[in-house]
Amino acid sequence: MSTAANEKGHAIRRRLAGALAFRNISALYILAAMVVLFSVTAPETFPTIDTVRIILNDQAITAVLAVALTVPLAAGLIDLSIGAQLGLGAILVAWLLSVQGAGLGVSLVVTLAVGAGVGLLNGLLITRARISSFITTLGSSSILLAGISWISKDAQILDLGDGFQAIANHQVFQIPLSVYFMVGIAVAVWYVIDRTHAGRAVYATGGNPEAARLAGVRTDRVVILTLVCCGVLAATAGILLSSSLATGDPTVGPGYLLPAFAAAFLGSTQFRNGRFNVLGTVVAVYVLAIGVKGLQLSGAPVWIPELFNGVALLVAVAANRRQASARRVRKDKPGTPSESTTSSPAKPSPTTASRTTASA
Amino acid sequence: MSRDRSPRRTLVRVRELTKSFGPTTALDHVSLTVGAGEVLAVVGHNGSGKSTLVKLLAGFHAPDGGVIETRTRDGATTDLRFIHQDLGLVGTLSTVENLSLGTARGLGVLGRLRGADERREADELIRRFGVDFDVDRPVEELSPAERTIVAIARALKGWDEQQDVVVVLDEPTASLHGAEVDRLMAVVRAVAERGAGILFISHRLDEVLGMADTVVALRNGRVVGEVPCSDTDYAGLVELVAGEAVEGLDRRAPVPGDVVLRVSDLEGDTIRNVSLEVRAGEIVGVAGILGSGRDELCAAIFGGRAYGRGSIELAGRTLRPGDLRAAIRHGAAYVPGDRHKHGAVMSMTASENLAAVRIPRIEKPWARVRSRDEDREARHWFTTCGVVPDRPRMELSRFSGGNQQKVVIAKWLRTRPGLLLLEEPTQGVDIGAKSLIHRLVAGSADEGTAVLVASSEAKELAELCDRVLVLSEGELVDELAGTRLTEAAILNASVPS
Repeated sequence: MSTAANEKGHAIRRRLAGALAFRNISALYILAAMVVLFSVTAPETFPTIDTVRIILNDQAITAVLAVALTVPLAAGLIDLSIGAQLGLGAILVAWLLSVQGAGLGVSLVVTLAVGAGVGLLNGLLITRARISSFITTLGSSSILLAGISWISKDAQILDLGDGFQAIANHQVFQIPLSVYFMVGIAVAVWYVIDRTHAGRAVYATGGNPEAARLAGVRTDRVVILTLVCCGVLAATAGILLSSSLATGDPTVGPGYLLPAFAAAFLGSTQFRNGRFNVLGTVVAVYVLAIGVKGLQLSGAPVWIPELFNGVALLVAVAANRRQASARRVRKDKPGTPSESTTSSPAKPSPTTASRTTASA
Repeated sequence: MSRDRSPRRTLVRVRELTKSFGPTTALDHVSLTVGAGEVLAVVGHNGSGKSTLVKLLAGFHAPDGGVIETRTRDGATTDLRFIHQDLGLVGTLSTVENLSLGTARGLGVLGRLRGADERREADELIRRFGVDFDVDRPVEELSPAERTIVAIARALKGWDEQQDVVVVLDEPTASLHGAEVDRLMAVVRAVAERGAGILFISHRLDEVLGMADTVVALRNGRVVGEVPCSDTDYAGLVELVAGEAVEGLDRRAPVPGDVVLRVSDLEGDTIRNVSLEVRAGEIVGVAGILGSGRDELCAAIFGGRAYGRGSIELAGRTLRPGDLRAAIRHGAAYVPGDRHKHGAVMSMTASENLAAVRIPRIEKPWARVRSRDEDREARHWFTTCGVVPDRPRMELSRFSGGNQQKVVIAKWLRTRPGLLLLEEPTQGVDIGAKSLIHRLVAGSADEGTAVLVASSEAKELAELCDRVLVLSEGELVDELAGTRLTEAAILNASVPS
């Protein structure tokens, strides 16, 4: 009995050690180091509750977009159009409210539906026309940018109404609603892709589409649904952006593309051993933002955010590849568990096997 | 100085080679010699030290003790040349281009690559080993055996047959089918006859027997036997490698039940007019050489690939072509021949792979996956199928081939299939895993599952199946059962007349 308890304790310790290992949660260690560093270099401005609130608020929209991107990435799809999708959502909702004078509810529903439609089109092009996701979304991105320009006539759209502005800016406990939306969306997406059979199908499709298909997964449907989901969430991010700016700005979309990719890839190196995951993505968004903010407050020049995000994306992808190759190398070395010989279990008995399954 | 050119002179002598990784001793005082014109096979399970031996020979690791002598008595030095499992060829380039890679000899007039010379040279290299194929085709379009031959040719480039050369082949046959193996073996023998020494690393004991001069068996890093091939047989080798006689399957006494699968007049890419029935509790084999339709049949029945004409009835219901979800719903299970490409998602964990086939009746897509249920099920299947190491949350790619295959089979047994379709169920797995997989399949049949096994290994079919259907050029040419069901009979019937 006590040995069993010991063994269990040992297993828990091993899992804890694994969970806290640097290669698993490096971003959190880097975060801690940055907080210490910037508290020294910008002692007046950096370690304040205001900074926390500003970063939390500023990055809520980036985080929604990065979470949106995580879904197709998990299914093995690159969606380069999400920056433009966000831009379309932002301008469309403003145009409906201000130029068309549509009601708030109608505007939101139509914008989200158009977002879903864009995802559906991307999905159909990938599954029916058999174009790679990279090319499909590169093309659709350009088309969406043209659409944004056409709708807005390349001018900002103002006068969106107080009710609309409240969506992102209304504060609860001194934190704007957009942060709550972000948390809600992240939790919902996390639950679906991490905790349901549907989520497993998404990861299986991303890992090996042919094997997933032969296990009964409708991979075409997975591709379409993940892109629709991504489209709706990107449109949501666009709505939140227009609401928080109180303006429909036709130029905002593409600027969000790189931060979202940097966060999603950096996030994939955290917690789940190279797998795209929601928690990692959200943490990565804020780690990157704190890095940028701290540098700015410490007096770094204005081009720092671009540089920081670009370097972060490359480092994250390199780390992701290294994790993958490290796994392969470990497999090659004798003495690791993967190389152990086949043991013959006492008596394999399919009889008891199926019985247990049946009762399960 | 007269050089020793005797046909059997020693080319490489390995003495007391020892290597440890942490607490694990991977190689323990291993000694062996390879002579000119000799084919020495090294066999053993996964983890017996074969790959460590190759890595020490290649200089990838330094030995903890012992020496590798490549200098022969008369002062000549033996050249070791390696063909690794992944071959290291560039798939999109032709044989000619692959052979000339890395040997920049400068450009001709006006920067012209010396195409004609290189082409002739490549052709000669390939022909030297008694084979002939188009050296201008991209290597990825060649058969696996031909690709291996290209790799051998590249390794032997510049060898004038006066030099002392030992070619080390690391598991060259792991991904080959039966007929392909024979083709490769002929080339290996041809290389040996020209005076090179061959060190052939393999875990497939049957193929080693026909081809090697001497077999060295490794177990847990130690040499447990060195025997001339003429003095041993398959059973002897198995015992040597496993350390015990592996119990064969008991003869089953099948009591066939109702017809589960009825295939009528099936026509596909290679299949011509095939009709067959499989009853509950029956294990039916499908034999045939490469291209006989053997590889297409299971996939077509399952719905994983389209077929032209014919009907497939599963448990009394006619299946639409390509509707594999309906097939799964009605109890079909399919273990594909290519584990990496089709069988499993290697980047996911073993327990996730086990649960990869959603059982529609009890698992709704939006239902929560409970990790406690998943752990319990994984534990259960790991015990049942003897998967090691016992770490269901480890990524599947980190398990050895045999254990990956057990997970793939367990994933389908979990659905309690009425019809189990297996393609090459034991390809690339070691002998222990193989007998275990056979027992799992037999156990499943005893419970009333109808089993259809397509395999290139006649021996496996003869042992496992109640009856065997033989395909040749897409048509069913023979059915073997009872006393007619022997390895030799299967092989005879498989050869197209």
